[in-house]
Amino acid sequence: MTMNSTPTAQRSLFDRLADMDERMLAVCLLAPAFIFISIIVVYPVATLVWNSFNDVRLLTGKPARFAGIENYLLVMSDAQFWRAVRNTLIIVFVTVPGALVCGLALAMLANMPFKSRGPIRLALLLPWAMPLAFVGLIFAWFFNSEYGVINDVLRRFGMQPQIWFNSGPLTLMAICIATIWKTSSFMALILLAGLQTIPKSLYEAAEVDGASHWRQFTDITLPLLVPSMLVALIFRTLTAIQSFDIPYSMPGPGEETQTLAMYIHMNAVDYLDLGYSSALAVVMFGLSMATTFVYLKYVRAEGK
Amino acid sequence: MNNVLTAKRLRWFAAAIVLLNGFFPALWILATAFKAEVELTAKPITWFPRDPTLANFMSAFNDQPLPAYLLNSIIVALSSMVVSLFIASLAAYAIARLNLKYRGAILTSIIAVSMFPLVTLMVPLFEIMRGLNLLNSYWALVLPYTVLNLPICTLVLTSFFQDIPRDLENAAMIDGCTRMGALWRVVVPLAAPGVFTAGILAFVNSWDEFLLALSFNSAAAYRTLPVGIQMYQGEFSFPWPTISAALVIAMIPVVIVILIFQERVVSGLTSGGVKG
Repeated sequence: MTMNSTPTAQRSLFDRLADMDERMLAVCLLAPAFIFISIIVVYPVATLVWNSFNDVRLLTGKPARFAGIENYLLVMSDAQFWRAVRNTLIIVFVTVPGALVCGLALAMLANMPFKSRGPIRLALLLPWAMPLAFVGLIFAWFFNSEYGVINDVLRRFGMQPQIWFNSGPLTLMAICIATIWKTSSFMALILLAGLQTIPKSLYEAAEVDGASHWRQFTDITLPLLVPSMLVALIFRTLTAIQSFDIPYSMPGPGEETQTLAMYIHMNAVDYLDLGYSSALAVVMFGLSMATTFVYLKYVRAEGK
Repeated sequence: MNNVLTAKRLRWFAAAIVLLNGFFPALWILATAFKAEVELTAKPITWFPRDPTLANFMSAFNDQPLPAYLLNSIIVALSSMVVSLFIASLAAYAIARLNLKYRGAILTSIIAVSMFPLVTLMVPLFEIMRGLNLLNSYWALVLPYTVLNLPICTLVLTSFFQDIPRDLENAAMIDGCTRMGALWRVVVPLAAPGVFTAGILAFVNSWDEFLLALSFNSAAAYRTLPVGIQMYQGEFSFPWPTISAALVIAMIPVVIVILIFQERVVSGLTSGGVKG
């Protein structure tokens, strides 16, 4: 009987063994990545959500206690939370479009036919590689009221120098300028790569048809850049919602220019109030997820 | 003729704007680092140091343990880079080569990690690290940085692995290599440019990270550069020339990295951006 078994049956058995082998191999290869992700992302996020429904104040020395939605009710009636949200939204709505416009301008300038591209590329890479915390310090020095270069330039042009960090709105403005400088060059690198994929023949054809440079920009460049813009915008918006390093290094008066991330950090690390800071973090998480969904919806609509 | 001239002038103008925008802050810090305290308080301010001094670099080293901060940053960035490259190349090989049913879903779920706001991870990780007594240790940063680097490393490596012809791998296996042997001896070396690109991006990401470093490692012995550099300021004093000198020193490693690997970095950033 065994002698009569067909070769095809034998092969399928062998195939199945090979399949098993391949599947086992896949599991083994993917396991380290997913174990790490579970420990550093999945488990902490679960703890975060659980803590947000508990009263976990380490400084009181009392054991954690289930508190239902108390933390969330506190968040809703917390004036400093709303101020932090307002500051964060100002930063998002100023620096995301700001970085897009400046990044597009930088990309267009950098896309001109230069003989050597090296220095131009370095000029776009340096702001990207500079840590945000350094950028915050450097711009804090630029906006220094006595010896800062910004006030010096204002004086030279006969304008009134400002004591930037004594006023909330002026501090926020300085934070936004620093953030736009830091992030626009990354935006420019992405858009530059997008610009270089646009076929030259399109512009030549438009030239023949007598289209103005502005028409070429609005009818060829912009529409063809939309895919690379969307990707850059998603990441820029998500990081703007988390703004921490630059506002932390450029503090305004008191807590007036605190961002949501700074407020979460203060509650968790300084006050060790893990329940309340977890509830705040869940709110930020929701904000980020909502942003991602809005963008993805737009990307899908764009794809159709 | 006239047209050619204006086009040339326009190019110079464009180059000047891009270069000034990119380099001015760094150059300004460099100039400040060589200025003496007296010159700094002069009004109107001087744009170039009149009387260059190295005193600020001396105090940058004397006021804070700058070499220790540098070393901590290098240890943390390098170890998280190596671990994420190793884990990501295993995962990328499985995604690029094996006959997987949910290939797309697996890659997406790894990339989704980069969508999580770091601040929301910071709160529970702070509690976990505190519970495990890992605050103020290299572990507190290397473990999270490794995971934060996984998405970009996996993305870059997968696209590079996909471009390597299967025949080379099969030939190695016929010559008696195991599948894993073929991965380490054939696939990874051939994808060296990709490994480099992913490695540099991972290194710079960890090098720049501030929030976790500030929250987890506040003890001087484990501070990384972005945190350590904030320590020069007193409650009311901002020794700007010293801070500038420290910033200059702190920026040297990354400037070297982007000088040597600029093409790799750009291709990595844009491929990640376009495909992500």
